[in-house]
Amino acid sequence: MSDAGIYVHVPFCLTRCGYCYFHAYAGLDELKPRYLRALLTEAELTAPGWDCTPFVSVFLGGGTPTTMAPADLRALLVHLRDRFLLADDAEISVEANPDTVDEASLHALRDAGYGRLSMGAQSFDPAVLASLERIHQPASVRAAFGAARAAGYDNINLDLIYGTDGESIESWERTLREAIALAPEHISAYALTIEPATALGRQVAARERPAPDPDVQADMFSVACAVLGDAGYRHYEVSNWAKPGFECRHNLGYWERRPYVGLGAGAHAYRDDVRWWNVRPPEGYMDRVEAGELPIGGSESLDPSDAYLEEVFLKLRILEGVPASWFEPARYEAFLDSGLLEAAFGQLVPTERGMLLLNELVLGLTA
Amino acid sequence: MPTDISHIRNFCIVAHIDHGKSTLADRMLELTHTVDSRTMRAQYLDRMDLERERGITIKAQAVRLLHDGYELNLIDTPGHVDFTYEVSRSLAACEGAILLVDAAQGLEAQTLANYHLARDAGLVIVPVLNKIDLPAAEPDKRADELGKLLDRDPGEILRVSAKSGFGVTELLREVIAVVPPPVGDADAPLQALIFDSAFDTYRGVITYVRVKAGRLPSHATIKMLATRVTSEAEETGVMAPEATPVDALGPGEVGYLVTGLKDVHHAKVGDTITLAGKARAGEPLPGYREPKPMVWSGLFPADGSDYSDLREALDKLKLSDSALVFEPETSHALGFGFRVGFLGLLHMDIVRERLEREFDLELISTAPNVEFHVFKAGDEAIVHNPAEMPPGGDYDRVEEPVVYATVITPSDYLGAVFELCQGRRGEMVDMEYLTPERVEVHYVLPLAEIVFDFFDQLKSRTRGYASLDYEPWGFQESKLVRVDVLLHGEPVDAFSSVVHRDKAYEYGKRMVERLKELIPRQLFDVAVQAAIGSKVIARETVKAKRKDVLAKCYGGDITRKRKLLETQKKGKERMRRVGKVDVPQDAFIAALRVDEKAKR
Repeated sequence: MSDAGIYVHVPFCLTRCGYCYFHAYAGLDELKPRYLRALLTEAELTAPGWDCTPFVSVFLGGGTPTTMAPADLRALLVHLRDRFLLADDAEISVEANPDTVDEASLHALRDAGYGRLSMGAQSFDPAVLASLERIHQPASVRAAFGAARAAGYDNINLDLIYGTDGESIESWERTLREAIALAPEHISAYALTIEPATALGRQVAARERPAPDPDVQADMFSVACAVLGDAGYRHYEVSNWAKPGFECRHNLGYWERRPYVGLGAGAHAYRDDVRWWNVRPPEGYMDRVEAGELPIGGSESLDPSDAYLEEVFLKLRILEGVPASWFEPARYEAFLDSGLLEAAFGQLVPTERGMLLLNELVLGLTA
Repeated sequence: MPTDISHIRNFCIVAHIDHGKSTLADRMLELTHTVDSRTMRAQYLDRMDLERERGITIKAQAVRLLHDGYELNLIDTPGHVDFTYEVSRSLAACEGAILLVDAAQGLEAQTLANYHLARDAGLVIVPVLNKIDLPAAEPDKRADELGKLLDRDPGEILRVSAKSGFGVTELLREVIAVVPPPVGDADAPLQALIFDSAFDTYRGVITYVRVKAGRLPSHATIKMLATRVTSEAEETGVMAPEATPVDALGPGEVGYLVTGLKDVHHAKVGDTITLAGKARAGEPLPGYREPKPMVWSGLFPADGSDYSDLREALDKLKLSDSALVFEPETSHALGFGFRVGFLGLLHMDIVRERLEREFDLELISTAPNVEFHVFKAGDEAIVHNPAEMPPGGDYDRVEEPVVYATVITPSDYLGAVFELCQGRRGEMVDMEYLTPERVEVHYVLPLAEIVFDFFDQLKSRTRGYASLDYEPWGFQESKLVRVDVLLHGEPVDAFSSVVHRDKAYEYGKRMVERLKELIPRQLFDVAVQAAIGSKVIARETVKAKRKDVLAKCYGGDITRKRKLLETQKKGKERMRRVGKVDVPQDAFIAALRVDEKAKR
């Protein structure tokens, strides 16, 4: 069995941001103790099915996991180590929002074993942060980052978002340079995507706000590639850059189609071409766990063509590329000619332009 | 016991749309107790669903009313310019016509056109003002207008309210008094004029006939003199208003005949029915004409696999629509379909709607075009499809159909009407003031210009006050060119159009601008060009797509991402390929849509 990961979902946030379609709730704080107990119980129910599986990563995502007390997060990790075969050098990541942490809490987290911190900075432009309905200021990112370094964090990611309404290329480049100035080990840069079932999505549909211009986002992507590359970050996935050796092992697991456990409301799990997911509403999730049941809400079995499609699009995303031998030459020659793919050692790898048109590449190759 | 011929009156009502023809017919049905109040419903005679919804009478029908010992046959006439020929055949079945005019609206183009048809057919005209109880009615003014047109004393013109029934009894009395009884020899060989025919699923072809001479018995071997088809007739009867069998129809009488035929093409409007056998055969009545399509359009199934369903549907429709013609057509862009000929735009809309509604087909139709006559080296070719027109002016001359158009407009809008007609290559014939405020203008206009949103333009430029009618007026030579639309260098046959040389640039520019908005960005720049032969006259570029990637792909929910990809994949499969360019179905439909349809 290849190296597996554990994803734990914490669906609590201080506020709900207009663009975010992730599974999260603001104002459910009183549920936290019960939710933590449910996570511990679920781990107990789940673990027997994963006997003898070596785990190399844990990822606490959300939501905002750092809205829970460090002591609770410590208890959770102790429990996971107790129940699952977690490697000593496993990568243990926790997502944090700048306003939910300080040096003391970060110290506590690091001490509890959370060695990698992923911080939702999003932008260093106050106008962009306001537009995204983020509650923090650029200064709080710098403060939280400093606190993390002081607490001993030597593996930090900053999440950035580009292409917000009103953001210029110049503003985006300044955001990138501000991020680089902090010298994190890892930077994720995502093009803002409008999800229909969000406040922002409804505003765009009602033409109250403009949809992002894909050409401007393409220019911003090019700027990110250039600026981050010059600063020594290696582009290893469409939206992810890292200093050598600091690639996110857990996320790579998804893209390399390694197995993962999913704990918490709405969390997904995967093993051997089967994917399943927990019920989404936290109450329903907790009820099921408390009744001693696995809180599974649904599942799917990937047939060979589904699995093939996933394999191709995921391999292309992580720039590992796909073997040319998988396809008829007629499927990819035009992409080579037009410079969207490159051939290297028998692999087809997307170029910088190709990464932006990855859907087209996948559809063209697998049609 | 057949009615004495001196007690028969055959008449119709001619009117502009919405002037109250169907309402007047309803009142007549009621006042004569032809329909009792329990079964009465509005627009009783307009049978088909489609007719009722559009408020237009498509199929002429005859209904028998009994009043004061008289047999009154009310023959309904189609009220649309597409069906002028059918109107003329209905008129030929009558001796009189009620000319019905809305007392608020006054004379309209259709009133005039139908009046002229009725007068030319030798009918006695009974002018009537309707809706006199409307607040906006100006009966004195309208009576003057009508009196001037008919050269009569305005004081003699009857005034009614079809809605309330006021004056309708007097009107019936007037019809009996002034419309002459028919004449015809009961012992002469049979001559029965077909003025309408319909297809009934159970009984086959049913014709509506006016017996001019002789007797039409309920069972006989009949012969159609134009189509030379013979058949065993199964039943004669009258509509009262439901079908009521009779032993025979005598001279001057109007009724229906269940022909025993299975295809309306064998019993066409205008044909003469007689009895088979030399001794008994009558002469054909004058005025028969083959139905002639005026407007053509390509119809393609949105889903290519529905082609055979479309063929079957057209075959079935043809059974009940003798004016419908079609031939298979193959388009590079739209696949297999049919080039279909229609009497006019309304007929086209009706056929399309029936295909979609009754046969559950989703269709793509090309922009309507007229028939072109192309002359080259002494040869003449008839072209129904712009894509078949020789490109780049490789011919000696081209002729296109023109119409004689009548426009009636308030004089305030005369300038706007002139401007529109001149802009549509019209040539004015004459004009006449009906009253100081209303003018009748005649133009000869290319039919192609009318097919393209003319009516809507007329309505919008005259705030809805002007009315239009037109009749075919032969062919005339024009400087026409074929404009092709190319995507990435590849011509799209479905977008080819034949337009006047002076308008080619404007047309080309509009098409490429529209397509630029409709064609999704591809992986390369797509040139959208309009060209005459090899000469490009307009060009736009659909810039290459630069970004199409799912931004975020973690949290473990790969399923959602894969499903998005699969959706995208299905969308791509539904697109049609023109050379290297993927074009969604909707883009074809939107690009081919005439801006506003010329309906009324």
